[in-house]
Amino acid sequence: MTYAFLLVLTVVFLFPFVIAIATSFKTDPNATANPLGLRPSPTTTAAYHTLFHSQDFPTWIKNSLIVTLCVTFVRVFLDSLAGYALARLRFRGRGAAFATVIAVMAVPGVVLLIPKFLIIRQLGIYDTYSGMIIPLFVDAAGVFIMKNFFESIPVSVEESARIDGASLFRIFWSIVLPMARPALVTLFILAFQGSWNELPQFIVSAQSTSLFTLTKGVAQLASGELGAGNRFPLKLAASVLMTIPVAVLFFIFQRRIMNASAGAVKE
Amino acid sequence: MKFHWKTGNRWRLALPVIVICACAVAAGTAFGAPAKSHANELTMLVGSSGPAETNAVNVAAAAWSKKTGIKVNVIIASDEGQQLAQGFASGNPPDVFNLGNDQVATYVAAGDLAPLDNLKNVKAFYPSLRAAYTVKGHLYAAPKDFSTLGLVINTASWKAAGLTAKSYPKTWPQLASVAKKLTRNGQVGLCTNPEFHRLGVFMIENGGWLVSKNGKTATVNSAANVQAFNFVKTMLGAGSMKLTNQLGVGWGGEGFGKQMCAMTIEGNWIAGAMKNDYPSVGYRVVQLPHGPKSLGTLQYDGGWSLAAASKDKADAMSLITFLTSPGVELGNAKAFGVMPSVISAKKKWLKLYPQWASFLSGADYSKSIPPVDKITTVLGDFNTQLQALPTTNPKTILDRVNSELQAILG
Amino acid sequence: MERIARRSWLPEPGIRGHQAAAGWLFLSPVIIILGLFLIVPIVMAAWVSVSDWTGNGSPFGSNVHFVGLDNYRQLLTTPSLDQSNFGTALRNNFYYVLLVVPIQTAVSLFLAVLVTRALKFVGFFRTAFYFPSVTSSVAITVLFLFLFNPQGAINKLLSYVGVTGPSWFYDPRGLFHVILGQLGVHQPPASLANGMFLGVTYWDWLAGPSIAMCVFIIMAIFTTSGTFMLIFLAALQGVDDSVYEAAALDGATEWTKFRYVTVPMIRPAIFTVVTLGLIGTWQVFDQIYVGTKGTPANTTLTPAFLSFNASFNNNEWGVGAAIAFILFGIIVLFTIVTRLTTRNPERVPRRRRFGPTQPLGTPDASRVASAGGLE
Repeated sequence: MTYAFLLVLTVVFLFPFVIAIATSFKTDPNATANPLGLRPSPTTTAAYHTLFHSQDFPTWIKNSLIVTLCVTFVRVFLDSLAGYALARLRFRGRGAAFATVIAVMAVPGVVLLIPKFLIIRQLGIYDTYSGMIIPLFVDAAGVFIMKNFFESIPVSVEESARIDGASLFRIFWSIVLPMARPALVTLFILAFQGSWNELPQFIVSAQSTSLFTLTKGVAQLASGELGAGNRFPLKLAASVLMTIPVAVLFFIFQRRIMNASAGAVKE
Repeated sequence: MKFHWKTGNRWRLALPVIVICACAVAAGTAFGAPAKSHANELTMLVGSSGPAETNAVNVAAAAWSKKTGIKVNVIIASDEGQQLAQGFASGNPPDVFNLGNDQVATYVAAGDLAPLDNLKNVKAFYPSLRAAYTVKGHLYAAPKDFSTLGLVINTASWKAAGLTAKSYPKTWPQLASVAKKLTRNGQVGLCTNPEFHRLGVFMIENGGWLVSKNGKTATVNSAANVQAFNFVKTMLGAGSMKLTNQLGVGWGGEGFGKQMCAMTIEGNWIAGAMKNDYPSVGYRVVQLPHGPKSLGTLQYDGGWSLAAASKDKADAMSLITFLTSPGVELGNAKAFGVMPSVISAKKKWLKLYPQWASFLSGADYSKSIPPVDKITTVLGDFNTQLQALPTTNPKTILDRVNSELQAILG
Repeated sequence: MERIARRSWLPEPGIRGHQAAAGWLFLSPVIIILGLFLIVPIVMAAWVSVSDWTGNGSPFGSNVHFVGLDNYRQLLTTPSLDQSNFGTALRNNFYYVLLVVPIQTAVSLFLAVLVTRALKFVGFFRTAFYFPSVTSSVAITVLFLFLFNPQGAINKLLSYVGVTGPSWFYDPRGLFHVILGQLGVHQPPASLANGMFLGVTYWDWLAGPSIAMCVFIIMAIFTTSGTFMLIFLAALQGVDDSVYEAAALDGATEWTKFRYVTVPMIRPAIFTVVTLGLIGTWQVFDQIYVGTKGTPANTTLTPAFLSFNASFNNNEWGVGAAIAFILFGIIVLFTIVTRLTTRNPERVPRRRRFGPTQPLGTPDASRVASAGGLE
């Protein structure tokens, strides 16, 4: 029963991507005329050729990697540090700090684009890696997720460590973090995916071609006008190429979501 | 054992935080030399339609640099609107940038643009293009290329319906009659977008327009316009014409390419879509029919504007003059098929693209959207209302849009 | 302070001062970065919403004036195109939230439970369900434009089962109006046709999401279920097997176990998912920007997109910012309502909730909220 559901849902979730991959190997007319066909006829790698040869694709990949790796590690650390403080430590202003975190998430991002740009410029980090990276070091949603997660793990272990006289940071680092591994892996994946797919922040913080990320490059590539035609193969090829690294990373790390937390493995 | 706070612990706690902050600051200073502006450098922001245009712009800018010794920093926009807004807000916008004519009044109202009345080649452009960029008597962009709408015809369907080269419609009744003949075998005669930006041609052909001659009064619900839309409605009612939302396609080019309709009203951009997505469909383009009053078509323009905050206006204007010289514009035409904005390039262009002659001749009798601040919002609502044209009295729609337009004309 | 002190897991009162120092220290990087790149911009945007800034030069320049609540009035009380567009955008987004949030929460929880129960190929299934979430919103929108083209893959699939699919992205008819039309109601009663709220008639408020918006709704569920599944998976890990075993001894069925054991245990995760869902759905922008830009007939217009359009395309920066702050108010309101409805219904005596007898890993919803300052 479980497997019947799982299989049906897998087909539903993956089918669009199978079509995307098939379409990326089609010619433009073929993609338009035969959208459902899984076998391209004729098969062409023209879309991938365009991506790799007429564009700075390698630069985009390099920049995306630099930004994503920096952001992911720092963000996981800082978000969980803050989440822990909000969940466990008692201090005046804690409630207000948490309410601020939530409120910050609730302001629609589009309205902040220009002010963010003005600040990045003011700090002298416009058109640099730091301008692209530092504002992404923290995200409110991550703090929120970590805080709620820390509240769902038992305090008893920490209490005994505390009685042994361990410092707060050591308790956090060597006791709480290992217990929080499922949430950390979740956050790691979300942070990786989030910064890999980030676009507005990079438009706001940089303009040089040498600082283009994949999202920026592909967005520019895909923003053709009516005259360019649908160019579905090209756009879908770009999206396939952008998706695969994250999917592979997820496949590697997802095991760890399960193998954690006080022998809770149910298999 | 009692817990007590040791200095060592506090430091161990503080250390990672300090390290992170230090990293951030170090990274900031290391990478962080802000974008510098050389005295002898111009910045140009381009919203490119694709690699062909990007390449052509880079080549042209490099040629000008070589001639003058002034460096041009060409930035291809990921999102031109946002990047322009950033430039204006910071007081450091690109010197030269693209602007569509529907945007020009909005930027003029904010004081973002410098007038180009003294451009060297200001007389070289088609008058209708110059008018499209003239706000309160001043020119705010040098037209770089333009498009007009024409009647695009599926040649196979045309022949199959027993029509010949002599039957190209010259008048509204002829248009209605060929559309009726072409409506066969599941294909509808004419299809187009439910938009002012297409259906507006009927207003012009009947002597109507959005605003009065002096541009101060909205005339959307004039008798001429009502009559024009009533003509469209008779064709819709007869079943020989359908709007693209009725066909379930995004725009006329798609309905035409998928052979759901035998004719459509589109601009020269349809060529790219036909070549890429529907290469097997044969077609030709003719002038839109003469309405009861005149010939008429709508025109869409691209232009080069100069920022009011530019620090080197003289050089920027010389760059704009170069970019709109016949040689550069013909190069663009070869590279990505646009129509040049200068009259002197006309002959050579017609040799390149004889099949588009009727698009180019549209320059003489076309109108473009009046340069009024916020007009895009009103036209957006016009398009929204036109979705329901088949089931609505045109007068109701036109009255509504008229009052909206009058509100922004002040 | 007294109340908080009692709740603390630290017995020694003298330690609180140290905790305060440590708490602020742990929070400081977050505070600095959020402060610099979010809170300061928010303050600037708030100023813009009560100014006549046109985007030229700094918003704090001498040519920018304070206009009070004019921009808000323009949207809320002055009958105008701005107002009816805003009303339409609110309606569209309301139906979007109303459908997406409950469905995505249910689907992601369902996926998480299914995956937790599977014994083999778990990694494969997890990856499969998560796959749509890793794709950037730009890419996924392009894919959906392709799939839901009226002559595209989806309608071709539907035609195999004899259904003529709608024209999806080009169909502005409201879902509820379509259903009423099937029942023979085509014209609104006069009472609904004439009354207006925010420039939109009552009849149009009741239109439901347009067919075009339905595609975005499907897309949102498709792309976010995987992400939220992760949060539920992590939470389900925290539920101790012994609780289930105890329930099994009591003879509970699968459903009652789920309803009375699992759901209360993962209440904080549900709160997380619903809150993040509300925030995300009320701010839907990317998909609209890449996909339809509000067409057809403004039925996919959303306040976030309208705010962007007013600011960047019309230079109405004040109105654009005002839209964003009204939206902000709506989101906060919804978050508070969520908080009230996910509150634990069984009122456990206060002492017991935080006492050592509390079952392993059962966080209490009211604790989440008291910390959030929402109680």
